[in-house]
Amino acid sequence: MTRYILKRLLFALVTLFVIITVVFFLLRLAPGGPFDGERRLPPEIEANLKAAYNLDAPLLLQYGRFMVNLAQGDLGPSFTQKDFDVNALIRAGLPVSLMLGLGALVCALLLGLSIGIVAGLKPGGLLDTLLMAVSNLNIAVPTIVAAPLMVLLFSVTLSWFPGGGADTWWHFVLPALALGLPLSAEIARIMRGGIAETSLEPFVKTAKAKGLKSPRIVFLHLLPAASIPLLSFLGPAMAGLLTGSVVAEQIFDLPGIGRYYVQGALNRDYTLVMGVTIVYSFAILSFNLLVDVAYGLIDPRIRVAQT
Amino acid sequence: MSQTLLSKWTRPALVGFLGLLLLSPFLLPYTVNAKEGVLTIGNAGEPQTLDPHRYNLRLEETLLNDLFLGLTTFNAAGEIVPGAAQSWQTSEDGLTWTFKLRDNLKWSDGQPLTAADFVYASQRLQDPATAASLAYFMYMVKNAPEVNRGELPVSALGVSAPDAQTFVIELSQPYPYLLERLLYPTAFPVPQHVIERHGDDWVKPANWVSNGAYTLADWQPQAFVAMQANPHFYEPVSIQNVRYLPVVNEQSAYNRYRNEELHVIGSFPVGELERVKTNYPNELHLSDLLSMMYLVFNTEKAPFNDSRVRQALSLAIDQDILTDKVLRSGNKPAYSFVPDLIADYQTTPLPHVGKDRAERLQQARELLDSAGYNNPNPLKITLRHVSGVEGKKVNLAITGMWRQIGVVANLQQAELRNHFADLRQGDFDVAWAGWVGENNAEHYLTLLQSDIGNVNYGRFADARFDDMIKTAQQLSSAIQRNQQLAAAEAYVVDAYAVVPLYTVSVRRLVSQKVSGWQNNLRDVHQIRYLSWSD
Repeated sequence: MTRYILKRLLFALVTLFVIITVVFFLLRLAPGGPFDGERRLPPEIEANLKAAYNLDAPLLLQYGRFMVNLAQGDLGPSFTQKDFDVNALIRAGLPVSLMLGLGALVCALLLGLSIGIVAGLKPGGLLDTLLMAVSNLNIAVPTIVAAPLMVLLFSVTLSWFPGGGADTWWHFVLPALALGLPLSAEIARIMRGGIAETSLEPFVKTAKAKGLKSPRIVFLHLLPAASIPLLSFLGPAMAGLLTGSVVAEQIFDLPGIGRYYVQGALNRDYTLVMGVTIVYSFAILSFNLLVDVAYGLIDPRIRVAQT
Repeated sequence: MSQTLLSKWTRPALVGFLGLLLLSPFLLPYTVNAKEGVLTIGNAGEPQTLDPHRYNLRLEETLLNDLFLGLTTFNAAGEIVPGAAQSWQTSEDGLTWTFKLRDNLKWSDGQPLTAADFVYASQRLQDPATAASLAYFMYMVKNAPEVNRGELPVSALGVSAPDAQTFVIELSQPYPYLLERLLYPTAFPVPQHVIERHGDDWVKPANWVSNGAYTLADWQPQAFVAMQANPHFYEPVSIQNVRYLPVVNEQSAYNRYRNEELHVIGSFPVGELERVKTNYPNELHLSDLLSMMYLVFNTEKAPFNDSRVRQALSLAIDQDILTDKVLRSGNKPAYSFVPDLIADYQTTPLPHVGKDRAERLQQARELLDSAGYNNPNPLKITLRHVSGVEGKKVNLAITGMWRQIGVVANLQQAELRNHFADLRQGDFDVAWAGWVGENNAEHYLTLLQSDIGNVNYGRFADARFDDMIKTAQQLSSAIQRNQQLAAAEAYVVDAYAVVPLYTVSVRRLVSQKVSGWQNNLRDVHQIRYLSWSD
């Protein structure tokens, strides 16, 4: 098992290294530079700026310097957010993004599990049809469409929630809901299938015959057995939440790292984009690693096959 | 089996959920509106810096105008008025400007602000180590380019402080628009005593010291910049607390304005204009911005090196249709490259303005024919523009107008940065461009100077025009200089190097809780001129 985990860990590290290298050089290929603003720059000024940010060195040397600093945990100064370094920006933005991601996950799990269980207990029933229709709608409507509609309804018309910002936890409700909805629908579908299938298993019949109460059967017998497919889904789902948060942060003006990503890319802020890329890659690789390890723990066949 | 499982616990849960939903408006833990007593403004984006010497964006100017006070400043109507200087004098030759500072000026930490601070700031701007991207704004100061290139020490810069209240600027050649140039943050004073103690960290809220009506209270990146009234400012202000939020998306700004989260927004989607006119007539502020949106021809490249082709393409464009029928956002059609909003200046409109459209199209076809383009051999060009709804609409309409004279135009769009990067490299046939300039013709006309650099995107070169501009730049009297510039414009209009399209109109919404707002050509609104309505 240790060997298996070490192997996955090594693989994750190599992947991270490849991502960093590829993104570093891809960014430099994009036309325009971090100092192209609304106004022109005379050549002597551009030279001053490039010297100040070490952009006048050969590209390979810049790459080397970046990697050395990175090894020391220093992501460098931001090219466009001149008053902050990338570490400070990520320190400020990451909690917001984590809060959004966590909120979305909680929304998705709460909604998805309850819809899935209710629908799966009586497949083909009216409630099932209705709930699955809603879920399909949630999958089909992307965040970029659902979120503005929610803002229009819940903040502009009803004025229950703010339409943007991150001052209080109340500000996170709409974005978390908007981001969590598509995920909740997928969780609901998986749970529905799991519950419906597991309900037919002999051990459920046994439990029923023993005279156990319904909630006890659902939560102690059905749910754990039906949750196994959900586990394998959650790894990629977390990645989906991360990428989705880029959209949600834009729409709800949330000061998270997803917004830095978009603006950093538009402004050719090389170091900022690198920093966010590293955080995202690290997060996704960690989720995948965790899921891989969890698999190994749950299913001995995988452990044997991979070692 | 499942029947009983379902009924026992779902019903109460569903009823509970519905009940909670109905009750939720009464359970609101927070108010969603803007905080009481804090003027909350949606700014076009996140400032990249609050260091006045390193800034580059208009949206940063907005904040810096509240945080600092230059020698000259704006009043609420956008006119130039005395700022930190109470008066000034110009020498006979226009090369020496002497400014007298106000009495008892102070930094926000209570330290006295003297002419030496302006000397330090001027030197810091040109110091190559500052890497100020807009240092060239002050290149008219004696020795400034040499200092900025590192060829001369900063002490060689033509600024001095004969006494604590007198600041003297020496110029390398006359520049009658200096008072206007001093409005930009590049000419703002910065606190030497703080910068020397904290280095680059002087811009952090904890270390912040400035001389404007407000000081920096807090800055959460991408969330807000908070300011509070500066107790040491020379006159009291009405609004004590301000928050600028970065709201990039127009729709989001509009939504949050309607939800009363923001008191002021810089723009809203153009599609909402009619609705806003009916629903918020007293809050809508539509105002012209000193600016020029234009098409530029790559005059180095055939066939755009042929002025007949440029003239034909220019003749076919109807500016009125673009603004009134296509954009419908209050933008003003432009017939001259220098906006006709500029004070004390007579613009020269395109020669064909006012002519009948059919006649213009006929003339355009003849010109194209003489240049060798006709039905069997149509002129094929690519028109480049910045991606976005407005760019797409305008440029699509232009290709339609060109089709009427048999020109086949393809549209190619690119994101802003790529677009201008390509333009600077001359990688285009015809391209859309924009310029938000100063209130003087020189700031526009020099874009066509052959040695101005790559901001003359089309590489237009005309020796006589260059000479005329250079002659104008020797004149210290604004009146004479404007006359000479007007002559240069009248001369260059026949070259059709660019096609003026329209000047931008700013669509703002300002809450009725705020009073003192005045529309102006520069769209500058210092908070100190505003107050809460009772």
